[in-house]
Amino acid sequence: MIYLDNAAATPMDQRVLTAMMPYFSDEFYNPSAAYLAARRVHDDVATARHSLAKIIGAKSAEIIITAGATESINLALNGVDGAVVTTAIEHDSVLATAKARGGVVLPVNSLGQIDLESLRSAITDQVALVSVGYVNSETGMIQDIRAIADVVQDIRDDRRQRGVERPLYLHTDASQAAGVLDLNVSRLGVDLMTLNAGKCYGPKQVGLLYVRAGIRLKPLIIGGGQEMGLRSGTENVTGIIGFAKAMELAESTRGSEVKRLAALRNQLKSYLVQHIPDIKINENQRRNSPAILNFSVAGVDGERVVFALDERGVQVATGSACAANKGLRSHILVALGLSNAEADGSIRVSMGRFTTSEDIEAASQLIVEVVSEQRKFGVMDA
Amino acid sequence: MTKVYVGMSGGVDSSLTAALLVQQGYEVVGVYMKNWTQDAPGMQCPWAEDLADAKRVAVHLNIPFKVFDFQTEYKQLVVDYMIREYQAGRTPNPDIMCNQEVKFGLFLQAALADGADLIATGHYARSDGSKLLRAANEDKDQTYFLYRVDGSAVAKTIFPIGNYKTKDEVRAKAAEFGLSTASKHDSQGICFIGTVSIRDFLKQYVKTEPGDIVERESGRVLGRHDGALFYTFGQRHGLNVGGGLPYYVVGKDMAKNEVYVSRNLNSQGFWLDEIVVGQLHWINQPPIEGKTYQIRTRHRAPLIDATVSFVQPNQNKVDGEPAVSPDSLVLHLSTPERAVAPGQSVVIYDGDEVLGGGIVV
Repeated sequence: MIYLDNAAATPMDQRVLTAMMPYFSDEFYNPSAAYLAARRVHDDVATARHSLAKIIGAKSAEIIITAGATESINLALNGVDGAVVTTAIEHDSVLATAKARGGVVLPVNSLGQIDLESLRSAITDQVALVSVGYVNSETGMIQDIRAIADVVQDIRDDRRQRGVERPLYLHTDASQAAGVLDLNVSRLGVDLMTLNAGKCYGPKQVGLLYVRAGIRLKPLIIGGGQEMGLRSGTENVTGIIGFAKAMELAESTRGSEVKRLAALRNQLKSYLVQHIPDIKINENQRRNSPAILNFSVAGVDGERVVFALDERGVQVATGSACAANKGLRSHILVALGLSNAEADGSIRVSMGRFTTSEDIEAASQLIVEVVSEQRKFGVMDA
Repeated sequence: MTKVYVGMSGGVDSSLTAALLVQQGYEVVGVYMKNWTQDAPGMQCPWAEDLADAKRVAVHLNIPFKVFDFQTEYKQLVVDYMIREYQAGRTPNPDIMCNQEVKFGLFLQAALADGADLIATGHYARSDGSKLLRAANEDKDQTYFLYRVDGSAVAKTIFPIGNYKTKDEVRAKAAEFGLSTASKHDSQGICFIGTVSIRDFLKQYVKTEPGDIVERESGRVLGRHDGALFYTFGQRHGLNVGGGLPYYVVGKDMAKNEVYVSRNLNSQGFWLDEIVVGQLHWINQPPIEGKTYQIRTRHRAPLIDATVSFVQPNQNKVDGEPAVSPDSLVLHLSTPERAVAPGQSVVIYDGDEVLGGGIVV
């Protein structure tokens, strides 16, 4: 099998698994317990948390470990007191939470960028949080978070001058950025940031929310007061240890990995563009993740292509995995202005640490072959 | 080349149906019927996985695949019917209505309009021209659910797995074809309700009042129920009327909102040698009086010999009571059968052939 759906899930790195193993059995202690063996586990968790904090330029106390990105996002968006502004190409967890809170959803242009002036006017005094994804999970388009942070700062300054007391925070879901982009929260200018271990060769159901010191959030889960009172429950020791190891590996190889992935993406893109005359690459050429290549062939059923490629040993996605399962057109591609035919004929190839040039060479040929074969069926879903 | 539209649900039976027809040289089109389903809280489309499973098989077989959207019609014809029947105190069978109205009604019409010569489904049944025949496997036979289809629809339908003897055989053949659904678990319960109980489902649509549970023999009130419509004739569980021998529902009065129970399985009305059914439906020709047929009162129930006599309009008319509808008949059973809840169906067979049947009044 050639696995090219790393944006949906990444295989756990063996080194991550090895780091986690002792904490399942021998080092099983509750980090809150008083005896020395438990204190050692407590210290290991603290070291792991410190390591996660360091990678994003934060302090340990600013790292809230959660059960994945969806929970982090729910905590961030529900934890503030006020309305939420977000964009039309966010993950379902952002849009669903924002919707439940009566948020404003900003449109994007064909490159996935929001208009900064529209953003400015959407941030009324009722707004407490702006949430913008860093790397779009479906296309790999990168948002200019720094520019958005500057707008948010302007408004904050303005509020202060006018004596408006409601705080305003910027949250980014950086799940698809780990190992690919700079995650330094100060350089990005974010107050809250979501990361997901399951997208960077760590365990699933482990994530974090960076909460800048001084921000008061309302917890979703209360109890023993762990995670700075924001996420009660005995620490997910194996998860935290694995997450830290995964992030360390991703960050230490980031430079070379980005170059390698960019070359693979280029190899794939050139081949497809050359052999599929009516292909449309859905990307922001200036700012795109090197790990994701999304393309459309109008008139071809993307889901058929996925199933047919699966039979030939290549695993890719159409739309985002969730959207395809629901038999719905991807809201992200629709928001980017793709026609229905382009959205229905879209394929996402997402590469990762274990993708080789040989994989891409074989997959390229199979993609061209399958797209050509499936053309005759058109798009037949009602 | 004969063009066949196969109703593909994403299960192994309809997957194999499509594969067999491709092998037999038909021009096959796979169709997923999108029927109405209730959204669970926070969950949008419980049908999506089944649709994907069906489509994956279609791609494997290299055939076109379409989705026919019958959500609105299904809600009206099947779901609303079911709710209405329960409200009236009867116990309907939505699967029978689904076959009559949706699969062998709407789907057949839509397929023919789209260019199909025939349709096919994964039912365990067989056909011969316009005759509907029981499946080769008595245990899997699904004709109980099919007695309300028309002969003209049967004539346009292929049932390729009607000759399979066991589910294992079906699964083995599906695996041989490399179908991804070969080992998929069977669906259970009423499809559109999903995982909630019928009681919880109905509660959302029907307003109910608590009432008394009354022992038939003594007239003693044994307990309270939360709505007579939730109780079905013959039902044993869920009465909450204390320990000891089990109680069975032997009747109810919707107007008084009372449910009658008894411990005595030989209680009045529990075993019958005559059953009156109305809303008759015949696939081709009706049965004739005097001849011995076989009947079945539930899916997979053993067949019982019976003769029929049609009830003429206004016969037995008693003052103050409504006349028995002219389209009803009386089944005279060779051996007494446990009484059947009003709303349930009785199906009449002539040997292998399904003649049709009616609904218990």
